Amino acid sequence: MSLQNNKNQDSVLSLSGISKRYGPVKANADITINFRAGEIHALLGENGSGKSTLLGIASGSVTPDSGTVEIAGIKLNSASTKDAMELGLGMAYQTMTEVAGLTVAENLYLAAPDHVRPKYGQMASWAVNKLEETGLAINVFAKMEDLSLAQRQLLEVVQALLSNPKVLLLDEPTTALGHNDVERLHALIVDLASKGMGIVYVSHRLSEVLDVANRITILRDGVNQGTFDSNDLTESGVVALMIGRPIDQAFPDRNVVTSEKVVLQVSRFRGRRFGPVELSVRQGEILGIAGAEGNGQTQFLRAIAGAETSNGEIICKGKAVDVKSPPGPLRSGIIFLSSDRKQESIFTALGVRANATLQVMGRYGTLGFVRRRNERAPVSELVNRLRLKAASTEQPAQYLSGGNQQKVALMRPFLRGDLNVIIADEPTQGVDVGARLDIYRALREKASEGCSVIVKSSDPIELAGLCNRVVVMSRGIIVDEILQEDLGERRIIAAIIGQEYKHGGTK
Amino acid sequence: MNEKLRQPLRERIHIGRWAPIFAMVLLMVILGLYTNGKQPSFSSSFNLNGLLIATIPLALAAMGQASALMVKAFDVSVGALMTVCVVVASFVLVADRSWWQLAIGMVCVVGVALFTGAINVALIRVLKLSSIIATLSTMSILQGIALWLRPQPKGIINYDFTHTLLKSVGFVPIAFIAIFIIAILSDIWLYRTSGGLAARATGLNEESASRRGVRVSKLFVRAFFISAFAAAVGAFFLAAQVGIGDPQVGLGYTLTSIAAAVLGGASLLGGRGSFVGAIIGALFLNVIINILPFLGWSASYGRIAVGLLTLIALSFYQAPELAKRFKAAIANKSLSRSKIV
Repeated sequence: MSLQNNKNQDSVLSLSGISKRYGPVKANADITINFRAGEIHALLGENGSGKSTLLGIASGSVTPDSGTVEIAGIKLNSASTKDAMELGLGMAYQTMTEVAGLTVAENLYLAAPDHVRPKYGQMASWAVNKLEETGLAINVFAKMEDLSLAQRQLLEVVQALLSNPKVLLLDEPTTALGHNDVERLHALIVDLASKGMGIVYVSHRLSEVLDVANRITILRDGVNQGTFDSNDLTESGVVALMIGRPIDQAFPDRNVVTSEKVVLQVSRFRGRRFGPVELSVRQGEILGIAGAEGNGQTQFLRAIAGAETSNGEIICKGKAVDVKSPPGPLRSGIIFLSSDRKQESIFTALGVRANATLQVMGRYGTLGFVRRRNERAPVSELVNRLRLKAASTEQPAQYLSGGNQQKVALMRPFLRGDLNVIIADEPTQGVDVGARLDIYRALREKASEGCSVIVKSSDPIELAGLCNRVVVMSRGIIVDEILQEDLGERRIIAAIIGQEYKHGGTK
Repeated sequence: MNEKLRQPLRERIHIGRWAPIFAMVLLMVILGLYTNGKQPSFSSSFNLNGLLIATIPLALAAMGQASALMVKAFDVSVGALMTVCVVVASFVLVADRSWWQLAIGMVCVVGVALFTGAINVALIRVLKLSSIIATLSTMSILQGIALWLRPQPKGIINYDFTHTLLKSVGFVPIAFIAIFIIAILSDIWLYRTSGGLAARATGLNEESASRRGVRVSKLFVRAFFISAFAAAVGAFFLAAQVGIGDPQVGLGYTLTSIAAAVLGGASLLGGRGSFVGAIIGALFLNVIINILPFLGWSASYGRIAVGLLTLIALSFYQAPELAKRFKAAIANKSLSRSKIV
């Protein structure tokens, strides 16, 4: 009895029996965790292991299917961020919540709950004080959008602290921070924890988290793998628990790249959040791009496809590529499969056939009129080849599963004769296992036909199984290269973590 | 004083926010002087009084529109709502009514407007329709109701009511002064209180604002009630001017109210705007229309002039943005050049 009482007093945030489904995906399955006052509690897991969902539920922005959230011993009755805040929960979101267009002071004022707000006229001096408390040198009159990403990320933490919370949730608070800022943030949260605040710390950067965490909880596929004292676990032990499954044996055979011919040459390439990047891709090669989320990989790929502004030089088969807008790379035979399928890749209202032949209409038309008869045979053949599951080739793409939608997008490179490079950004995100293999096989086939393929993936198993070579990006530049003979899931993870560590730990 | 507390002068007076409004005032003065030089009767108190009275309904509609645009929503039903209010007024605010009957009549008109506002906000927040589509539908329905109630213009508006509403001090209608004061107070609220900050934040980024504890739905309800109420009050002045229940009278107000609000600094992307600016915008549009007969221009030139002057005024808003982009492009160029070397 006394023990029970003690535990309740100690706990600043307790989640019990939390479950949440998104369609067929179980994001959280019966998760129970107790976060104590005065501890720094790391919440770890791979992408898609359910951390963000769990934080969303704890902070009142996501309604769980079942389970209860208790903040400082009081139950959160309905999902409401305001109620959670009033009960004593502060949250620094990964996708930051600053309001662009307002000043720093106005943003802080907005984030402050009523009882700590000063008079409107005293906003500026109040904001200056708040920033001084946390040791941040930022002009309070600056517009939010004029700040650096790192400054905005640190401000997100300051905003979360304004309500004097009993428990502070940090969702990937260091993705944009350099070494010094990380140290400063860590000093801050260690200080806060010593004063009795509970800290829940989510991060991909293992070495950083393990530096400061007292306890660690690991999630995998939405299931709690257990809570451990940080002294009882090594970094590799954590990684083993995070991955937890044997490497998939089901990858198609890797062909050995014999050609020395460089198809794509990227030099002095820089843009928003990446660069300068030097990279060359050989004919028939599948090149993987690895790295912790948000280190410029996506922007880099989008820039090659002409979807982001950039500077530098891209040469494809000896000719310079015009990357000012998407049509340039397309003309040079570079095709881009976006990770945002519904927005940027397929047309959800159009059928399978129309989606597939969209970019090669000229081949099937006469005098500008499309002949469906001509389109039908090649499309049907591809449906069989890629094992696309659709009611008919006229079925609108919005009714297909994620995997089948990706296959529709993949039909485009197959229909083009003059193809040089396929760029695939997270080609298997939201795709079930069976369809994944079909997609791997399709990419391999194109590679063995002499195409170069660049795959960005946050799944190290996928990169290890599929690629001939993997480069690791961190803070926008390529920091490591892993050749085929060394390729392995652990090696990739070690490279990602190691780079984080090298960057974070150059003392 | 603490060094960090000193806000740069440029930012303190918010040049970006007010410069276009000053530009509009300047343009009006220039147009006025030019017209006056050709036709001195332009500055007669009779004409100026008529100009200001004609501006009042649009000024009110534009203020309502500005409050909707502030939370990143359009109220396309404003014009039709004003029509319905005028038509209803032609039933309840007719001759030979005592003052308390008129008061009840006014409450009726305002009630109709607020009811419409409630429906608009329900469509947008509960059914999650886009504000343009939702209010476009209510606009059509309201238009139909107006035609059903008054197939032809009929129903003379009470003279005492009209007379009281349009009372002036010198050439300035008292109502215009009152509206202007309300607008100044509203702008102070918008830029100098926490409530105004919450409204601006909602328009700029609804999700962030709600994550930070702003009751976003409440602000939407308020914005649409303000817009509906402004339409009702605007309709009183419109009724006072036309004097009859005309089922087409408010047709043009939807688009011109958006134009006036935008001229006054409202952003279609939400979170920016000014109520004083909306009045100045409405006045600007009315000045252009007013001077045309003095200059002997036909209505067709008038339309073109309104369009061109609106574009000129609006381009002031883009000026800082263009300058910034230009600077960034140069910086980018020199950056890439230095990298090559």
